[in-house]
Amino acid sequence: MSVHSDPPDDPDTLREKIIGLGERSLHKSYYPELQKRLSELERFRALLDQTHDAIFLIRAGTREIADVNASAGISLGYSREELLAMPFPEVIAPQDRERCSDIIWENGDHPSESYLICRASLLSRERREIPTEITVRFVTFGNEQYIVAIARDITERLQTERELKIKESALESSTDGILIADLAGAIMYANPGLASMFGYERGEMLVGRDLAAFFADPDVGKTITCRLLKDRRIEGEAIGLRSGGVPFHIQVSGSVVQNDAGQPLCIMLIVMDITERVINDQLKREAYTQLGKNIEQFAILGDHIRNPLQVIVGYAEMIEDPLVMRILDQSSRIDEIITQLDRGWIESASVRQFLRKHGDDTKSRALFFARITEARGEDS
Amino acid sequence: MIQRDQLALRKFVVPEFISGHGALHLAGRYANNFGLRQVLLVTDPGVRTAGWADIVGESLTDAGVSFTIFDSVSQNPRSGQVMAGVEVYRSEECNGIVAVGGGSPMDCAKGIGIVSSNMQNILTFEGVDRVTMPAPPLICIPTTAGSSADVSQFTVITDEEKKRKITIVSKTLVPDLSLLDPEPLTTMPPELTADTGMDVLCHAIEAYVSNASSPMTDLHAYEAIRLIHAALPAVIDAPEDLNLRFSTLLASLHAGLAFSNASLGAAHAMAHALGGTLDNPHGRCNAILLEHVIAANYEAASDRYDRIGAIFGEDERTTPAEKVATFRRTLGITETLATIGVPADSIPTLAREAYADSSLVTNPRRLTCKDIERIYERAL
Repeated sequence: MSVHSDPPDDPDTLREKIIGLGERSLHKSYYPELQKRLSELERFRALLDQTHDAIFLIRAGTREIADVNASAGISLGYSREELLAMPFPEVIAPQDRERCSDIIWENGDHPSESYLICRASLLSRERREIPTEITVRFVTFGNEQYIVAIARDITERLQTERELKIKESALESSTDGILIADLAGAIMYANPGLASMFGYERGEMLVGRDLAAFFADPDVGKTITCRLLKDRRIEGEAIGLRSGGVPFHIQVSGSVVQNDAGQPLCIMLIVMDITERVINDQLKREAYTQLGKNIEQFAILGDHIRNPLQVIVGYAEMIEDPLVMRILDQSSRIDEIITQLDRGWIESASVRQFLRKHGDDTKSRALFFARITEARGEDS
Repeated sequence: MIQRDQLALRKFVVPEFISGHGALHLAGRYANNFGLRQVLLVTDPGVRTAGWADIVGESLTDAGVSFTIFDSVSQNPRSGQVMAGVEVYRSEECNGIVAVGGGSPMDCAKGIGIVSSNMQNILTFEGVDRVTMPAPPLICIPTTAGSSADVSQFTVITDEEKKRKITIVSKTLVPDLSLLDPEPLTTMPPELTADTGMDVLCHAIEAYVSNASSPMTDLHAYEAIRLIHAALPAVIDAPEDLNLRFSTLLASLHAGLAFSNASLGAAHAMAHALGGTLDNPHGRCNAILLEHVIAANYEAASDRYDRIGAIFGEDERTTPAEKVATFRRTLGITETLATIGVPADSIPTLAREAYADSSLVTNPRRLTCKDIERIYERAL
């Protein structure tokens, strides 16, 4: 019996080991390994018990629960012993029981590596229904087939899904155009309002395209993106471009969507078609301008009338005629009218100021373009 | 002369064994008792041809235990054969091993067992107490009376690349059960009967004179020598005599219990070198070397050799070595090392290999490399 790796220059030590007196000389025993495996199993059991999911081991043939983790008992309000005495379908809510059983047991010949997922509510001892998503896998221990069912409580997920659905519906039904784009300006979502505004049938047709394609000035898209990343929020007006190349007035307000750490994830723009308002504003501006001009003309006209009136009064005072008094009286009345017009001119300062303001109302729009222009200058 | 202290610490490990006619058929029952579901049945082509593997397979089937046959095992089993067996063991998802055959299948089965549980290459276990994880349950059914691998703590595997034998020594290698049935021995040809019988004698003599022997091992070693001396020549003449076959099997059991606990000596160290380098049959090498080793060792344990010699005949003029030489010739083993193909110029290499063999540390006389060369030369 040769042991080439043990040097023969220490024969006494080697002899002791061969006799069986070495530290690690032990008759074949599975007990230390059994103890180790049991410890591992206990650790694994603790791990399963700590998980939030309810885990059931079910005998495929009888549908009895063969084993459960602690979470199953806690969430359903049963003791482990009570659950082990129940068939699995009994912990399923009545309205889901038949459907769930059909899904599980009609697929009993599935290979062990595949799994099924079904949604069903579990029924607690207090008859409370817990909506769950159950992952089912078939396993064989020895000669018996079992089913491992892992039920995950999806109450919160359903609530979140409902809330998301509401928000999604709100976005979809908004008459304003709503657009979500990535930080490079590529469109990720466009609601039907935006698609319709820009002459597209569906929002999906815009997905993947660059913002620049939707502005008369292609630089505006990039400018908006840059400005948003800098200021996190913008508002202003621009000229949009419909699918047929027709320009129209739009008001754009935008913000950056951030994660909890404040890092930007994407940008969101709300777009309104303001073409009608802009045209109305233009008409109003023209009317106000004309009105202002008319008032000013009245003031000038008053001065123009007052000069010949002074001449008339002068000549009338130089002549002796019974009609003089009537001429002066009528001249005085004309002067009063002109004076009243002058007073009205003075008193109409706020009106004129209003007219000046609205007669040349480019300020708000100019603000946005000024910002964009400024940003463009910074970018370049 | 080595003085032995009977109060010195000694360990004695005995496996469970069942002996008697029909023991072979208990394989299935015990495999079932060990909880085995899928067994790797390790054997060799010769044993399969003789039909013994099939009988054991039927026993397993009757007990409801599935099995896969692995018979790619040669004389002096190779490390590659062990690793190939491990592949089959894993791919067939076995959980226990049944070995049917002589020393080669049993040693290979031990190797497969420790590799499968420790996940290391077989060559990494070379040495004493290197097996940390016990192998899966192993049931041995010897079909020769010689190697005693069914009760020993050794396995000997040939490192094909380096053309040398490695020995793995561990109490965990002692099989869980040995089924000692004389019937499978009846199909052994006379030459194999003689070679394996001489292996038993060599085991017993080397254990008896070992410097690690104990009162317990002496008991078994002496009885083994007595039994094999009485039964071996007779069984060659009456190969189907179950009583004689059982005597040789019992001799092998006693010898195995003795050398597994007291270890061996120079004859085995030198035979391992021959087997590893030149792939010579182990039993035949032992038979040729034994008388020369006895002569070389005699002065170191003359009282014990004399007691052995007395078993072979009361003639005091003949030395124990001469008596053993005569005995092996009566069995038809008349070769020398030269006639079995050992070249003279290989002796220095063989001596170095043997000198590094751990069996030397329990040889009654501490031999030098030169001493070993001289023994090889005498046996040439």
